[in-house]
Amino acid sequence: MIKQFVLIGLLAILFAVFFVSMQDIQELYNTFGKDYIAASGFADTGSRNLVTAILLDYRLFDSLFEAGILLIAVSGVIWISKHEIEEKNAQFMLDKFNTPDLFVTFSRLVYPLMLAFGFYVIINGHVSPGGGFQGGAIVATAILILYYIDADKETNIGLIVTIEKILYIAILLVASLSIVTRGEFFTNFFALDASADTKAIYLVLLNVMIGMKVALGLWTIFTAFLKEGR
Amino acid sequence: MLYAPIALIFIPVFSALVIYLVKARFIHYLALIAQAAMTVLAILYYQTYTGNFADTFFVIGGWDARIGISLINDPLSLSFVFLSLFTWWMVLIYTFNTKQDNRTFLFFLMFLQGVFLGLLQTNDLFNMFVFLELTTIIVTILIAFKKAGDSFRAGIYYLLLNTSGVLMFLIGIILLYFTFGTINVNTIQEAMQAGVLVTGEEYAVRFAYVLLMAGISVKAALFPVFTWLPKAHGVAMSAISGLLSGLVVKGGLYLFIRMNEMFAGAQIDYTLFFYVVGALTAVIGVMFALTQKDMKQVLAYHTISQVGIVMMGLAHYDEQTAFGGLLHIFNHALFKTLLFLGAGIIIKAYNNKKIKEIRGVMRTMPVVSIFMIVGMLSITGAPFFNGFISKSIIKYGIQASGIKYWILFIVNIGTATSFIKMSQVFFGPKVMTLRIKEMGQRIALMTLAFSCVILGNLYIPISEGFFGIDVSHVSAVKWEAFFDYAVALILGFCFYKLVIEKDPRAVRKIREFNVSFETANYLFMLYVAVMVVYFVLL
Repeated sequence: MIKQFVLIGLLAILFAVFFVSMQDIQELYNTFGKDYIAASGFADTGSRNLVTAILLDYRLFDSLFEAGILLIAVSGVIWISKHEIEEKNAQFMLDKFNTPDLFVTFSRLVYPLMLAFGFYVIINGHVSPGGGFQGGAIVATAILILYYIDADKETNIGLIVTIEKILYIAILLVASLSIVTRGEFFTNFFALDASADTKAIYLVLLNVMIGMKVALGLWTIFTAFLKEGR
Repeated sequence: MLYAPIALIFIPVFSALVIYLVKARFIHYLALIAQAAMTVLAILYYQTYTGNFADTFFVIGGWDARIGISLINDPLSLSFVFLSLFTWWMVLIYTFNTKQDNRTFLFFLMFLQGVFLGLLQTNDLFNMFVFLELTTIIVTILIAFKKAGDSFRAGIYYLLLNTSGVLMFLIGIILLYFTFGTINVNTIQEAMQAGVLVTGEEYAVRFAYVLLMAGISVKAALFPVFTWLPKAHGVAMSAISGLLSGLVVKGGLYLFIRMNEMFAGAQIDYTLFFYVVGALTAVIGVMFALTQKDMKQVLAYHTISQVGIVMMGLAHYDEQTAFGGLLHIFNHALFKTLLFLGAGIIIKAYNNKKIKEIRGVMRTMPVVSIFMIVGMLSITGAPFFNGFISKSIIKYGIQASGIKYWILFIVNIGTATSFIKMSQVFFGPKVMTLRIKEMGQRIALMTLAFSCVILGNLYIPISEGFFGIDVSHVSAVKWEAFFDYAVALILGFCFYKLVIEKDPRAVRKIREFNVSFETANYLFMLYVAVMVVYFVLL
């Protein structure tokens, strides 16, 4: 009990100091970064969605490693969930008989819509909110629903993981293509003064690849979890 | 050559991916080829830019430096790059075998190298955060690589505690971005030095400093947030323990140096606070190490105490003393990797981790024993070995203050005691063990032992050439040096015979003292709150 009270006291101190420094910061708020990207984001990158502009052009180097985090997580989950001994005593968690019929029917209706929405979010990442990471997560959710429709579905994890790794290599290659065309690393491979439509080719390409990679990665993770549950 | 840092980051990442994907028989050798290519590249890069390190700065994508991500190198980061390449060489040679399962291990190992090299060379705070996060995840997987129950527990403990630390780091970055409108390290440093800090801004900057330091402290295993380290190092494979102790923990100390450089203009006096933290870390680490029975636990707690000694050196504005701390990072990396790798061989041969049950290593494995003894002499600070040099520099720096000197002396006695205890394993008759003849392991141990001795004798030209710092006042050819070492050994021996060997109740109590995850989080919050009070409010 005493521990909890001490903890609350400590958090109160932290919050109070945070609050005080936030008060000051409102007057001193330095808007340089915000203004710069708002003013020249579209002209520089050809992306109306400024988040995508930062993600896929200004700070593409970060995004490559953020995709890398998922890649590592997937490989780690696969490695840890690989058992030498087959364990068969646990019930399959998505037992078909326990899934309500209404849910299965509704899933069948929603599944294609979700898939289409996911792809929409991926492909339009440069003009409207969204992008590869978000759209990939939506597509992965749609695939997860597939398991509700058909609980006995078997997935070849090895193949998905291989495709995911190859996609990651492809993303790295596309991202570094600009060193050949422009002499700069990790940016758009079209020239800086190309029209926004031309630049969009690169943005859509990279968004689609990242989206597929994220979707495949998440798919692998929950397939591995399902196998653990079986 | 300008883009060599990018190559250094992506060569290991690419080779890791190829090794994971291709099932060919000789694909394992790709790791060695990549490592050789990186080493050559790093040496060429260093030769190109010696003398004008400002030219290494470049912005990825050619954007404005305040918007894009930039990379920069200086003697400090390049020396860490060389240290990483060296340590990875050792771990690669030590663990090298061509079994198919080993491909996954190589994948994580090489990927970690790319990420770690990125962390060293980046000049961007958010980029630093991404690399820190990625390091945390890969290290978690490497800790849990054996897939045993306790290694999972240690892995999760490590992951959660370090993630909370890294999140603090992130909040600190957000505060800095609000205040300066950029997250470029150089630009922020210049803005602080230009003295544009107004009174209100100071609060935010100091608070950001506290948050960044909180994250770094968890990574560097400072008191009181070191609890993840013995758990993780105790269960991980010996090679991984060596890599973590030798290098990855040093990532936190590297960031400590970098961030203090960045905050130099903000007039934050960190010396006293971090000296006290370092001294506590050193003393408590050594105290726990004395009570342990498990060989790897002893080494793990000594990592904590040595990090404390490094901190005792780094927490000084005086260039010489801080350089002593920096040099101790390198020395510790060499001898601790050596000790962990050697302990790994012994543990594997005897199939036992308990110091009391292993006997006769000298007769059974003479070569390994000699290298282990070199490591032990280095860590206890014997003259002519590398540990002596850095400890002496720190000692000279803090000589003026009596209490600081005595704390270091007590830590030295403790270190001597616990390695006298460990040296028992060498005595005794020859025993029949599993015959393990692996050339790679021997080569790795030999190289590490030789580099300990080389650094212990050629330290003057090395530190002069690399950092331009003159340390010629430290010399082992003085009777005081031998006298000090002998006193520490004798006192350590007495302490061992009189107290530790009898295993009194107090020792048992300390050994069984376990910090649960909940308590670790309380301690972490307490640490942050104390820092807030000390740095922001006072």
